[in-house]
Amino acid sequence: MNAWGRIGEFLPVLLAGAVTTVEITAGGFLIAVALGLLAGALLGAGSRAVRAAARVYVDVFRAVPVLTQLFILYFGLVEIGVRLEPLQAAILGFGINGGAYLAEVFRAGILSVHHGQTEAAQMLGMTRLAVLRIVVLPQAMRVALPSLANYAIGLLKDSTLASAVAAPELMFLARKLVDRTFLGPQIFLTVAVIYLAMSLPLGQLTRLAEARAGRGRR
Amino acid sequence: MSWSILAESMPQLLQAALDTLRMTGLAFLIAAALGLPLALARMAPGLPGRLALGYIEVMRGVPQLAILFLIYFGLVPLGVALHAFTAAVIGLGLSGSAYLAEVYRAGVLAVDPGQREAAQTIGMQRVQVLRHVVLPQAWPAVLPPMGNYLVALLKDTSIASIISAPELMLRARDLSSEYFLPMHYYLLVGGMYLVMAWPLMQGVRVLERRLARGRLQGETR
Repeated sequence: MNAWGRIGEFLPVLLAGAVTTVEITAGGFLIAVALGLLAGALLGAGSRAVRAAARVYVDVFRAVPVLTQLFILYFGLVEIGVRLEPLQAAILGFGINGGAYLAEVFRAGILSVHHGQTEAAQMLGMTRLAVLRIVVLPQAMRVALPSLANYAIGLLKDSTLASAVAAPELMFLARKLVDRTFLGPQIFLTVAVIYLAMSLPLGQLTRLAEARAGRGRR
Repeated sequence: MSWSILAESMPQLLQAALDTLRMTGLAFLIAAALGLPLALARMAPGLPGRLALGYIEVMRGVPQLAILFLIYFGLVPLGVALHAFTAAVIGLGLSGSAYLAEVYRAGVLAVDPGQREAAQTIGMQRVQVLRHVVLPQAWPAVLPPMGNYLVALLKDTSIASIISAPELMLRARDLSSEYFLPMHYYLLVGGMYLVMAWPLMQGVRVLERRLARGRLQGETR
């Protein structure tokens, strides 16, 4: 039982790992949102070739495990002379993968905006981009919000996979501690609790935001 | 030259892909079987409801990788040493059961309460109502998310390679470090996942469209 007492000893290391976990999550999320918006808009583009390209991106990156994508970025690129830092590879990998998921989310959000809105804005002489940015996207965001938040929670948990490319996040540091101390149950349980402490409030926040967005629409 | 190495590795990779499918199937069975009683417990009042909710929230709040580590490495000091494949199937299955429990619950809640009330007024017992009236009607709402879960599970089995469970990703890691052709192997394996997952994704898409149409027709009738 003495082993549980030593958790206090490890906690600073684990919390530092949790900070990196948050960094990976936030960085990946930002790239995913940017790519998702772009791909989501392009899925409805006028040009058939552009639409097809966006569709291929969305389908391929959603059909391949994110771990495989991380490995291609981190280990694979070395073969052609490109060496990424673990953290870079993780953030980039999650971002590109997430963009494919969010593209569908944004697409659904954009489609949920009544086409009369677009037509009215065009009547006022707004350019296509202005219509999208000022009229359509703000309304689409409200529909996309719950999925966006769920994606963020999923990403927070998936960031554990960055440990496989040696990014110094929570899971990676935990595994190193376990190798050194053989306190597997204690350390992994503590890690599970830290993830819960991050993901549960995020889930509550999501429900709150959903309730609020739902109320606004009615 | 590198292509001939890849070609020579194909039988091993295909064998490993079968292991991936086996792991997916077994974990799916556990998740689907445990998810239903879990969903029913979640909807029950009192202690069972709260216990089930706790299990679901914890399982969905903790990363799958952490669950796999707890089962594979965490149980060893307690005298339980599982094979990595078994640990992966159990871990993925348990975490999936929490997810599918919510899917089942949403399906049951989607059935009009009038159906249940009508069945009760003709004297059916609770279990009978569930089995003959509610569950058959819950399937249209359950199947699409269940299909999405299956696709996600197929890809998530790749994380079992981190606890060195024999499956496609682990085999790719072994081979790529043996021949130092990481880009070749990971792209190839990515393609193999694509070949397995894409038809499933299309299937779910078709299913979604069909069921949505069926429901709309039902409403206009």
